[in-house]
Amino acid sequence: MALILEVVHPGGGRSWHRLGDAPVTVGRGLANDLILDDPYVDARHARIALDDSGAPLIEDLGSVNGLIADQARVSGRVALRPGAEVRVGRTMLRFRDSDEPVSPAIADVSFVLAPAPPVVKPAVMLSRRARLRTTIAQTARTTWGRLAVVGAAASSIALYSWLGSSERSSASEALYAALAFAATVAIWAGIWAVASRVSVQRFHFIGHMAVASLVTLGGLAWTMAAEWLSFFFPDASLADVLSVGIGLFMLAALVAGHLALASGFSRTRQWRTGFAVAGAALLIGGLATLAEEDAFTDVPTFSGVVKPVGSDWLPTASVEEFSGVMATLKEQVDEMAKQ
Amino acid sequence: MSFARPFLLAALLLWTGDLVAQVRSVATSDVFSRYADRVVKIQVVETGSAAKATIGSGFFVSGSGHLITNYHVISKLIHDPDRYRAELIDVAGAVEPVEVLGVDVVHDLAVLGSALRPRAHFALGSVRIAQGNRLYSLGHPEDLGLSIVEGTYNGLLPHTRHPRIHFTGSLNPGMSGGPTIAEDGRVVGINVATAGNQLSFLVPVDRAETLLDGVLTPGDEPPARTLEEVGRQLRDHQDAYLRDMFAGNTKMVDLGPYRLVTEPAPFFRCWADASRRQELPYEKVQHHCSTDDYLFIAGDQSTGVIDVEHEMISTKKLNASQFFSLYSSVFANDNTPGGQEEHVTSWACGTRNVRNASLPMRAVLCLRRYRKLGELYDGVLKVAVLGREDSGLVSTLTMSGVTFENVDRLARRYLERISWR
Repeated sequence: MALILEVVHPGGGRSWHRLGDAPVTVGRGLANDLILDDPYVDARHARIALDDSGAPLIEDLGSVNGLIADQARVSGRVALRPGAEVRVGRTMLRFRDSDEPVSPAIADVSFVLAPAPPVVKPAVMLSRRARLRTTIAQTARTTWGRLAVVGAAASSIALYSWLGSSERSSASEALYAALAFAATVAIWAGIWAVASRVSVQRFHFIGHMAVASLVTLGGLAWTMAAEWLSFFFPDASLADVLSVGIGLFMLAALVAGHLALASGFSRTRQWRTGFAVAGAALLIGGLATLAEEDAFTDVPTFSGVVKPVGSDWLPTASVEEFSGVMATLKEQVDEMAKQ
Repeated sequence: MSFARPFLLAALLLWTGDLVAQVRSVATSDVFSRYADRVVKIQVVETGSAAKATIGSGFFVSGSGHLITNYHVISKLIHDPDRYRAELIDVAGAVEPVEVLGVDVVHDLAVLGSALRPRAHFALGSVRIAQGNRLYSLGHPEDLGLSIVEGTYNGLLPHTRHPRIHFTGSLNPGMSGGPTIAEDGRVVGINVATAGNQLSFLVPVDRAETLLDGVLTPGDEPPARTLEEVGRQLRDHQDAYLRDMFAGNTKMVDLGPYRLVTEPAPFFRCWADASRRQELPYEKVQHHCSTDDYLFIAGDQSTGVIDVEHEMISTKKLNASQFFSLYSSVFANDNTPGGQEEHVTSWACGTRNVRNASLPMRAVLCLRRYRKLGELYDGVLKVAVLGREDSGLVSTLTMSGVTFENVDRLARRYLERISWR
């Protein structure tokens, strides 16, 4: 058995070094045996050596940031055994057993170079919120968690359809809506799954279903919110502007979410691609709107949403104020007639 | 929306047989030979292509070449005087240019002038005639040559804003502007419209007489000739009958829990209908009032229609969310009149939640303006009453070809008058 030093560099890269009996000096200086490119590391930072009994240890050479083990700074020496982790500056030193087993190689059927596996970040102190986030993130990685998201979206679609149905058979209508949603999402996820298989050798079918479902849930929530907004504030174009913004964000999230499963892109690059797609959609949509803006139409557009709201807290205008609205409309059509 | 339009459409489509006037009595051929030379074909020609754009009929009313026809026969000339010219073709086939001397858009009449000196003309004067009397209508149906149509006088229509004679005889497109006369040659009315199945309409002759007098001896206000003056005629006319509409003494009708305006004026006709279908979890009751008559402007654009429609929906089976989804879709239903870019602008709409003395409601007003007829607008006010979870009311007031002052006043009165029962 030999002790292996795994160095996790601040940028995420890793390197491995077999440790022998000879001491190894660690630092930024070029005279060291192990040279670390890390501005938080001293020129001569630490030394790995054997103690009198022949057991390996790492000792601080009086560096600014010292040695960090078990999330605490230690002065002096730290005994090393397989599994030990010591941080110097922002670089993580992991000590591993050379006999440690590794997983079998993945068969490469696509002959496309697989991207590097995600970088394991050094452990840091977690706040309660961060822990919750981690828990959610972990749950979201399980198949059951992902199926739950798909189920939630399908039931929301069913509920929304039932609430909006004025047919006698509202229940069957709701069921039909849920099934139609499931079928659509399955086809959509299927396309992404094929793309994933090609680029990262895994289908992630359920994952892609979950991404599409999550975005659908968001879209549904906003649709309902927008209806209420336009009911309460019919004169404000706030809901319209927000709708465009939120719609674009949903599109970006959809693309980023799928890319997280179907590519080796970094998180930043996933979102950047997502927003690029959303930007293109905005450009096309904006141009189409501009082209149509001046076109004549004899079909009026207005917000015809009504909601069962007790009249007490509904903001209302007086008939006189409504007359003011009419005067504004007159100005608008007078302007149109001039053109 | 307009009831007048299918009416007119029927006139154009249903006509198949009976084209040639019935030769029932000897008198008919006498009437024809005696008066045929006083009737001419009027055609409006596009100057550029020299193609006929409209064809109608007209008749001489003075020895110095004055003619009467319908406004709608020569309306293109009024709208686009640079693009069109008008001419008459007399019984001998001679073509002579005519000019418009005065129009009455409200009664759909026009006086034309020509250089022709006819050998004989009709004298206009009020006539008294009994229901059932035989009348003869002359004109050029579908450009097929001068024809005579025999029919019966059936009095004035009871429900029109402008007087219209009900003539039981077959009028056809192309006969517009021709005279309908009694056996002795007195003009009774001017052919103007048909609803098919021998149901035809005439403008009473006294309107033509008034217009002709105005042309021959112009007073302070000479008859309109230009589009601008036509617009003024329309405005003056509507101001008179819209002044008191929906004011204090308006008739009201109760529909479920709502009290609503109905029959805004005697010349309105109202219908009510209810649909209670077993397979639907809601009920719908409709109440609709409109005028039969409308004013022709040009092409297929007509105006002057005031239309009131109430639609009540109620349910015992839907929950509030389901019911309001249905209510929203009924409210968002587009029942505004159509239009062409040549004549009107696009709609501009404004929405507010409005409260009157009695109840809260969602109100939308959509407005558009006529491009050439100055200061005239179409306005559609839609209201959805709020405050109940099992019933709703969508009420629509359509005002076409009215001034903004009238849109504003009528819409305000309409909003104020909706109340709980």
